[in-house]
Amino acid sequence: MNAIAMSRHGALRRCGVAPADPAAWNRLGRILLASEELCLAGAAFAEASALVPQALDIALLAVEVATTAGTLPDTLVRLADRCAADPFNVAAHTARGVVLQRLGRHDEALDAFEVASALAPDAPLPARLLGGVMARSNRLREAEAALRHAHGLEPDNADIANDLATVLMRMHRHAEARAILLRLLERSRESVTVLCNLATATTCVGLQEEAVALAEEAIRLDPDAVLPWRTLCSSLPYLDGASGERLLAAARGCAERLPRALHPSWSGLTRPPRANGMKVVGSSPTMTLKIGLLSGSLRSHPVGWLTVAGFEALDPDEFRLICFGRDAGGGDPIAARFRAIARQWIDTDGLSDAALAARAREIGVDILIDLGGYGDSSRMLACAYRMAPVQIKWVGMQNHSTGLAEMDFFIGDRWETPPEFAHLYSERLLCLPDGYVCYSPPPYAPDVAPLPALSNGFITFGCFNNLAKITLRVIQVWADILHRIPDARLVLKTHQFSDADTAARVRGRFAAAGIDPERIALRGSSRHRDFMAEYNDIDIALDPFPYSSGLTTCEALWMGVPTVVYAGEIFAARHSLSHMCNAGLADWVAYDTETYTALAVAKASGMAALAALRARLRAQVKASPLTDAPRFGTNLAAALRFAWKACISA
Amino acid sequence: MEVVHATATPLALVQRVSALIDAGRAGAAGPLLAAARQIVAPSPELSLLAARLAESQGDPGLARAELDVAIEAAPDHAGLWKQRAALCQRLGDFDRAARDAAEAVCLDPADPDAKALLGSAMLSLGRPAEAWACLAEACAAVPTNAAFREALAIATEANGDPEAALGTLMEGLSPKGGALNLRNAAILFCIRHRAFQKAVALAEDGRIAGTVDACLFGLKGHAQSSLGLHTEAADSYAEALKLGPDDPYVRHLVQASGLLPGAKRAPPDYLRTVFDGYADRFDSHLIALGYQIPGAIRRIAMAYLDRHPGRPVLDLGCGTGLVGVAIGDLPVGPLTGVDVSARMLAEAGAKGIYATLEEADVQDWLDAENSQWGLILAGDVVCYFGALEALLRSVRERLAGDGWFVFSVEEHVDGESGWALLRQGRYAHSRDYLEDALGAAGFAVHALRPQVIRHEAGAPVPGFLIVAEPAALVN
Repeated sequence: MNAIAMSRHGALRRCGVAPADPAAWNRLGRILLASEELCLAGAAFAEASALVPQALDIALLAVEVATTAGTLPDTLVRLADRCAADPFNVAAHTARGVVLQRLGRHDEALDAFEVASALAPDAPLPARLLGGVMARSNRLREAEAALRHAHGLEPDNADIANDLATVLMRMHRHAEARAILLRLLERSRESVTVLCNLATATTCVGLQEEAVALAEEAIRLDPDAVLPWRTLCSSLPYLDGASGERLLAAARGCAERLPRALHPSWSGLTRPPRANGMKVVGSSPTMTLKIGLLSGSLRSHPVGWLTVAGFEALDPDEFRLICFGRDAGGGDPIAARFRAIARQWIDTDGLSDAALAARAREIGVDILIDLGGYGDSSRMLACAYRMAPVQIKWVGMQNHSTGLAEMDFFIGDRWETPPEFAHLYSERLLCLPDGYVCYSPPPYAPDVAPLPALSNGFITFGCFNNLAKITLRVIQVWADILHRIPDARLVLKTHQFSDADTAARVRGRFAAAGIDPERIALRGSSRHRDFMAEYNDIDIALDPFPYSSGLTTCEALWMGVPTVVYAGEIFAARHSLSHMCNAGLADWVAYDTETYTALAVAKASGMAALAALRARLRAQVKASPLTDAPRFGTNLAAALRFAWKACISA
Repeated sequence: MEVVHATATPLALVQRVSALIDAGRAGAAGPLLAAARQIVAPSPELSLLAARLAESQGDPGLARAELDVAIEAAPDHAGLWKQRAALCQRLGDFDRAARDAAEAVCLDPADPDAKALLGSAMLSLGRPAEAWACLAEACAAVPTNAAFREALAIATEANGDPEAALGTLMEGLSPKGGALNLRNAAILFCIRHRAFQKAVALAEDGRIAGTVDACLFGLKGHAQSSLGLHTEAADSYAEALKLGPDDPYVRHLVQASGLLPGAKRAPPDYLRTVFDGYADRFDSHLIALGYQIPGAIRRIAMAYLDRHPGRPVLDLGCGTGLVGVAIGDLPVGPLTGVDVSARMLAEAGAKGIYATLEEADVQDWLDAENSQWGLILAGDVVCYFGALEALLRSVRERLAGDGWFVFSVEEHVDGESGWALLRQGRYAHSRDYLEDALGAAGFAVHALRPQVIRHEAGAPVPGFLIVAEPAALVN
């Protein structure tokens, strides 16, 4: 008899001689579970649970058995009965929550964990589970509260700390998240997850070099894991001097490590299935096309603001939109706009990448547009499995090429992706004739106020971008501009400045560059309308580099504020170039820092011209292709048709 | 083993239940309330929570039962009477609501909520003077309560003083915006009283203050359209749609402005919204516009009924029954009217001409129907359809072999073929398109002649009046 069999035999005997000993049944259940004798394991845990109904670990092990056995619905019924019979049974409520979560019934799971946590406020696990479901439901404040509570009860639990840090990052409180993650790292530098989360938080507080170093450390720790490469892809675009080739190499490194071998499919095909002799059902160049939109950000988010109007302008008889997204919750108006135009909404929460790809195939998506890239809600693995015969990368962590062989096209325009840059992309470039996005201004945007410099008597520069984009070199160049205009001011606004230490560090960098701190105003977060209203304090926006403004430049334009731009090589370095040229302001773009500096100084010296531009800028933008949704829709439709024809004729 | 016991205090449980009910989380509040009731003695507070929870779960009967028992046990608890008054008001039991609210006022004369409840009940009972007295006191006690102010304005208007009613609403607005519902109520009030400039100004103040929602922009668009400011109205509707993309009425108007791809027909919800709101002044308005279609249809109907007296007639999109009035003295058989608007049908019914009136979308109704008619009329209805193929096929199915289909359309005059969605939300069709679509649906054109539909801004609106018959008859 081997060791496992002996353990099993011993455990069985123990239960026989001490049937009232819950520990015996618990041990037996674990042994049976390990050997996948599920029915017997379930019975053993049921015995233990009957003896100690309040044993949380036993209740959760029973859920594990049911999950593996595929009997979650039956277990749910039993747990519901137990909860009704004993409303104070924390273990039953918690286990019920886990079952509901695994069945995809997240709202009910949230309620179950809420009950468990309220009944047992001193138990960390229900609080942690509640925080997790809250986070998945985008109820971040409540998630933070629950996870802080759990963290307070179990401060040494690394998983809880990491969960709390990720929620804080989603709330743009990266400095706080970073502090938690640094403490975790002190205990052990062996966790790839912690290293990667820390890299992200470090990027977001403006320490780009340190962030890339952390991502590379994670790669060294586990060279074949996807997460470290994904983190590198997310951090590298912010690094001063990162070239298009280096970014492409990183993207390819990530893409190659996506575990395609686990799912037999069209994967591994570097050309659309049709080109490989696989039939694309009912293919004709003019047929109605099913367009899948893949993103966790189909809501008030740059993805939403820059794409929703374009999708709304597509003829629904020609293009049937199917959204693969996550529930934004809370009445988000952009999410509502996507839902209004979607023929179907597939909730991707809880769907594995393989299941997601299968679902898209089942629906018969013709063209899949990825709007998530390698970001937080990345589904690039689903793209690697091939969700559709044609796959296109568009807005959404679109900082450069995906490097993914299965990504067929990449939407750009003549400014973002001129022909001489084609070798920096693994995809075929689809250049839209105007800009590559269509901005949809919010209805609540404030009116444009007169040029502040007219009443201030001095120029106020501004940058409302996140701190990840503000490198040491950017600060040095901006300091140079301020030196050349001695009475000018600079206003920087981003979430991260709500953290005093972060603000102090940035102020210190300006001071080190010889700029009186009194000339620098650092503003923290505010509600969106107030955020836009603060452009009425700004005369000229300064674009950061290498990572350019995207939505921020569009919003500045809408508020009458032009942006001085330095256009670089990578896709993310050319967003503002596209928007400014699309709005008819190509004379605000520079291609090196010397010209950028000189341009800022020159534009600041023409007060009358600046005032006149401000007064007409909103109308100019409104009349420009940047916000012309019907025109953009025509262009987008033509691009989609082109991509489709290329597929079926390949 | 990790044994976890419930350690929450009764007070903490009850507080959590209340917070969860406020947050609309009945799924979590229910089990916690069940737990709380096991360890907390019955009390009015627990009963109130149970009633609120039951109502939030869609069980007003249970909510009412909880309150009945609780009031029986604690008749001096004003909160219970208030809760029951509010519940009865929502259920339409205004008598009970008024009695309960009065009881609450007696128990706590200083409570403005109780007075407001009593005022609302009085309004519902058609006693505006008493309603006004209660609501004026409630509003005076809490001038910032938008709901009190809005109810007071309604009572004031019901008492025959619309100016003062508007003043009540306006007092609650502030340069920084104020309550959005109050502003929208003020804008709607102005629109109802045809003070369109004021409506636009109020909406613009709200926009500048940043206090906006889809309703505000929609009302602004309506007011601008009424002033003939159609470009501005289109912009307002577009903004409204950004904030309320599920509104079919606004969506159709935005499509009509060209900012979104046009739909092939006006959605039934759009038609319902337009005509339900229009029904009581539809006839007088159309007469003022020189609406000519009923008369033109009468002449054609005469010609048909001379040869086929007593045939049943179907009036698609009958509206208030203007076509029925026009042909009512002719030898018609039973007259059936179909319309999507209940209020328009009510006006038609009041005329006592139609044998049958059906509330339905004409396309859906035709597709579900089995009978046939000798004469099918559609005056100013086809203008709400762009692509006509499906509609014409459905009409053809319902037309007797010797029948006529008589309908009017607006002419697509831009020199192009096909059909177009016009700014006002109606469609126009070219002659070529009409002939092709009729042929494809199995019709032959008996007559297709120019016809002035009505006048707009003093100018005639050109259209066609068409008589179509089954193609087989001609062959």
